[in-house]
Amino acid sequence: MKLLLRSVKILSPRSPFHGKTQDILIEGGIITAIEKSIAAPRGTVIHEGKGQQVSTGWMDLHARFCDPGFEHKEDLNTGLDAALQGGFTGVAVMPSTAPFMHTKSLVEYVIRKAEGKSVDVYPVGAITQNGAGKELAEMYDMQSSGAVAFSDDKHPIADAGLMLRALLYSKNFDGLIMHYPDDRSISGKGNMNEGVSSTRLGLAGIPAIAEELTIARDLKLAAYANSPIHFSTISTAGAVQLIRDAKKKGLKVSCDVAAHNLLFSDKDLDTFDSNLKLMPPLREAKDIKALIDGLCDGTIDAVCSDHTPEDVENKKKEFDYAHFGMIALETCFAVANTAFSKSTKSDKDAILESLIGALTDKPRSILSLALPDIKVGAKANLTIFDPNKEWLVAKNQLRSKSANSPLVDKKLTGKVIGVCHKDQWHLAR
Amino acid sequence: MKSSLSVNHLLGIKGLQLRDVELILATADTFKDVLNRPIKKVPSLRDLTIANLFFENSTRTRLSFELAEKRLSADVVNFTSSSSSVTKGETLIDTVNNILAMKVDMVVMRHPSPGAAAFLSQHVRSRIVNAGDGTHEHPTQALLDAFSIREKLGSVKGKKVVIIGDILHSRVALSNIFCLQLLGAEVMVCGPTTLIPKYISELGVRVEHNLRKALQWCDVANVLRIQLERQDIKYFPSLREYTMLFGINKALLDSLDKQIVIMHPGPINRGVEITSDVADSEHSIILDQVENGVAVRMAVLYLLAGKNEK
Repeated sequence: MKLLLRSVKILSPRSPFHGKTQDILIEGGIITAIEKSIAAPRGTVIHEGKGQQVSTGWMDLHARFCDPGFEHKEDLNTGLDAALQGGFTGVAVMPSTAPFMHTKSLVEYVIRKAEGKSVDVYPVGAITQNGAGKELAEMYDMQSSGAVAFSDDKHPIADAGLMLRALLYSKNFDGLIMHYPDDRSISGKGNMNEGVSSTRLGLAGIPAIAEELTIARDLKLAAYANSPIHFSTISTAGAVQLIRDAKKKGLKVSCDVAAHNLLFSDKDLDTFDSNLKLMPPLREAKDIKALIDGLCDGTIDAVCSDHTPEDVENKKKEFDYAHFGMIALETCFAVANTAFSKSTKSDKDAILESLIGALTDKPRSILSLALPDIKVGAKANLTIFDPNKEWLVAKNQLRSKSANSPLVDKKLTGKVIGVCHKDQWHLAR
Repeated sequence: MKSSLSVNHLLGIKGLQLRDVELILATADTFKDVLNRPIKKVPSLRDLTIANLFFENSTRTRLSFELAEKRLSADVVNFTSSSSSVTKGETLIDTVNNILAMKVDMVVMRHPSPGAAAFLSQHVRSRIVNAGDGTHEHPTQALLDAFSIREKLGSVKGKKVVIIGDILHSRVALSNIFCLQLLGAEVMVCGPTTLIPKYISELGVRVEHNLRKALQWCDVANVLRIQLERQDIKYFPSLREYTMLFGINKALLDSLDKQIVIMHPGPINRGVEITSDVADSEHSIILDQVENGVAVRMAVLYLLAGKNEK
């Protein structure tokens, strides 16, 4: 296929064309020319990109495709469609399947099913058998089959000794442990952030300290084991500070934040909207500010979707019976971009650059994946987007099999225009 | 005073304006007069059918609502399911829609889940009265408490009210806080540190952990039942020790240098949060609360039904 992206601004600090508006010609999946103005060869698909920007393809560190086991919520095909719609060319999929992805056969199932798709799929294997937090899973076997990292997803490992063994053992094969920090003996049956909002609503709270205690513990364990550790979907100001301090001390720590934790706060739960029942919970304005500061100063490495499809039966019910999570791949960038545009920070270009870095190079670096380039001769792995375009999230436009999004009928700023990867060009809806 | 509520459902005190509360209390005055007549029934809600859906155990609130409905000449159906329909796999919306399909005009619901009444109001076409939703709100209890304070002390404005006990698991406490604040009272909560929500003071209430100091401060003490059935983990070692720290007895009341009013939403654990001689003393307006409950619930049902007709 021949594709000409006309007049797109290149946002890729490693590219010699960073910050410049150029034409990009792609032939057979390879970038063959980047110039001020390119005459399109015969048979070229031309995309007029005036006002639009292009970066290397986006990478999500935290999504669930429910396949196998919960295919009525999402499967690999619909999940990857949603990813494309959201501008992602790579997705790390969590082991929350049934059975839990804790063996090589399940890793291989995902890899085989994703073959030939326009999005790269990176399975994350379980740390413990069945994600039960009791016995280590065969991590090396899974890595040998293609698992890129290890996580028990939203089942935090309560046992400090087991966590230490996981950190030590994974060093044998440079495996990365990703941990969702939450001390369930404190958060218990909590349904939302503990604060004045939860007090007003009479809902059991999830205190910030439940997250921060686990991070503090894990940082000690990782320092002791001299192992890298990644924290998934952090949400509190205290968590940002703990990780900032650890990075200063030279610990090999990285973390990500879910885009929606940058935009919504616990105040938005006043109507008991179960689509905003999320894990980690939506926190407070001070936490949102700390998370955005953390992204801008590099404390937080990546922005992820935390895509969690749920069927209507698990969402359209009493708040404390509803399941946690929202679908987010298709709105991830727009949500983060909207949150950034609302922040008080003045240098909007620098903020956007931080956000795109957190969607491209940084998440790939965490998983030690090769970084795509925007230069002549490189494979075209590109996402085209318009950070200023406003759009309405329409339910019938969503590609995900589930519709559990609090953003339906809401306006967001920042739209994915299209994705070019593996010699294919996908225009977003 | 306006003669119509600003809301279509009574989901909580939070959504009400001061004039709504004043209207309900004034209407309840009228109904209390009616209840003291030889013929206690008025035809106001004749031809209306009200369903009382109780997904959680309740005796007095359900009886109080049922009596209020019957005094207003409404037809009443009761649905009680302590284990809740969830165990049968039927959703709340389905259960309620099934009942509404039998042509029911209003729903009075108690449910163990916070926000259940609000959830229902978003998904079914009926007037909803929240008779207690988990640890969230119990608005008619707060209204009848305010009515009873007003009756006893002349007004609520400027009065000091302490709510004593398990605040963390109490819908009565939350609704009372909102209602009393709306009416201009000062509110304090008192109880064990493990049962006071960490951020409660941000609602504008005082927090006190010393019972004597709390009683010394207040005009009215609203004593909550210790609801062991709501506590899946232990927040204090034993009832005995709870009583030692937070139980109200006659000697303690007598040692204060003033008279205070004792309230309790019932049912009382005699000898735990309150001793019998206090519950039965002249300080106590516990039975007035029960009587006023019927009048206040009549007022709520009557005013919401009035909105129905428009």
